[in-house]
Amino acid sequence: MLHVKGLTVGYGGTPVLDGVDFDIQKGQFVSLVGPSGSGKTSVLRVVTELISAEHGSVELDVPMRDVGFLFQDDALLPWRTVRQNVALGLHIRELPEATIADKAEHWLTVLGLAGLGDRYPAQLSGGQRKRAAIAQVLALEPKLLLLDEPFASLDAIVRTRVTQELLDWVEREQLTVLLVTHDLEEAAGASDVVYVLSKGPRATISARHVVDIPRPRQILETRQHPAFAPLLRRLWDDLSVELKSLTAPRPTDT
Amino acid sequence: MTPTHRRTLAGLLLLLVWETLSRIGWLDPFYAPPPSAVGEVMLQLVVDGELWPHLWATTIAAFAGLVVGVALGVALGFAAALSPLLAELLEPVMILLNAIPRVILAPLFVIWLGIGLASKLALATILVMVLIFFAVYNGIKEVDQRLVERVQTLGGGRRVLVQEVYVPSVTAWVMGNFKVAVGFGFTGAVVGEFVASSRGLGYLLQFAQSTYNAALTIGLIVVIMGLVLLLFSLSERLERRLLAWKYD
Repeated sequence: MLHVKGLTVGYGGTPVLDGVDFDIQKGQFVSLVGPSGSGKTSVLRVVTELISAEHGSVELDVPMRDVGFLFQDDALLPWRTVRQNVALGLHIRELPEATIADKAEHWLTVLGLAGLGDRYPAQLSGGQRKRAAIAQVLALEPKLLLLDEPFASLDAIVRTRVTQELLDWVEREQLTVLLVTHDLEEAAGASDVVYVLSKGPRATISARHVVDIPRPRQILETRQHPAFAPLLRRLWDDLSVELKSLTAPRPTDT
Repeated sequence: MTPTHRRTLAGLLLLLVWETLSRIGWLDPFYAPPPSAVGEVMLQLVVDGELWPHLWATTIAAFAGLVVGVALGVALGFAAALSPLLAELLEPVMILLNAIPRVILAPLFVIWLGIGLASKLALATILVMVLIFFAVYNGIKEVDQRLVERVQTLGGGRRVLVQEVYVPSVTAWVMGNFKVAVGFGFTGAVVGEFVASSRGLGYLLQFAQSTYNAALTIGLIVVIMGLVLLLFSLSERLERRLLAWKYD
């Protein structure tokens, strides 16, 4: 579904990412974890063509219109109602008005926002805004879903609930997902494969872990699965190595 | 008692003290005529029908300046924000115009355009235009990039970005400055009339000053203040209507 080969990304100086390779198969849930500044978000920004790569390639097996991107911030248009925000992508695709109205109402209901469609984003709670952002992306029925730490700003209870709702949907529809997160439990609990990025600059894939936990998954129960704790330990060890190398004195410092 | 009640009461009290001090001779009515004398002069202007043509002339000049100034400010602000070359040319001129007290251009406009409506319109326009230019220019430059990227990832191109992100974002900036623009429109019109004119509240003010008519001067100041306050209130309603998402 997504093939990243030798991806090198820079912002004018030393590359943030240097030769990143990974693949995502259709229907897989893949997470990308790594220290801050390792360029996790840059991978998603290249895939969605918001920035260009210096070298390497990103190949998609689906057209760009089938890629949905859920940002870290909900980034809803503050001057549009929740319903108008959910319908925004549908309007951009110039679907018939009746179809747009039906789809928007459907996704508001699916995400538990029925009755809140006429409110503005500022009138919703953080969890509701996040649901509206999810509805906006899912309304376009993407085949590949890119998630950039989408639930980082939510409190633990809302976060678990919204993550579970999204996970249920992804499993039911067999969507392909690439999740960027710094939350190892989230990555281990939701994914089929977890890639670890080394510290930046010049970050690259330093480890790949297959998550051997059956689906469908319940977030809270998954954490009790025998494979969960050892996986979390391995991820933690991988990142600890990266973080140690971040804090270790460089030769020029002595 | 609400704050409005308290303010009204304080205002009435001030007028009462002023009236009393003037009547017992503690204030020289030549310099500070009592409110009753001011009211009398203004009432006479209204009854004689002398006020209306001047009020109308000033309002027309102020409104025309406001409309043209907003239109030019929006157009130039958009153009500068979207074209680096135009920004290079326009920004220094606008910064210079913003830095100087723009009313000093009034005599020049009279020389160029005469003492009619055109010179007042030009002054009001330039006062408003510079303000709106920076509101639009900065509004576009500081538009929330997360919203831009959100629309782009949903498949939106330049047209959708302008329609869904830039225009609403800039509207918020412009409306935030609109009340000041209304004040600038009247400043331009009145100062233009004060410098050289044959009608308008500014002309009447100039006449009142040259004849040492303090009652008329104060009365005209009150009329201008009342008019601007009325327009402030209308522009606030417009702002609440256009920016309902901010206030609801």
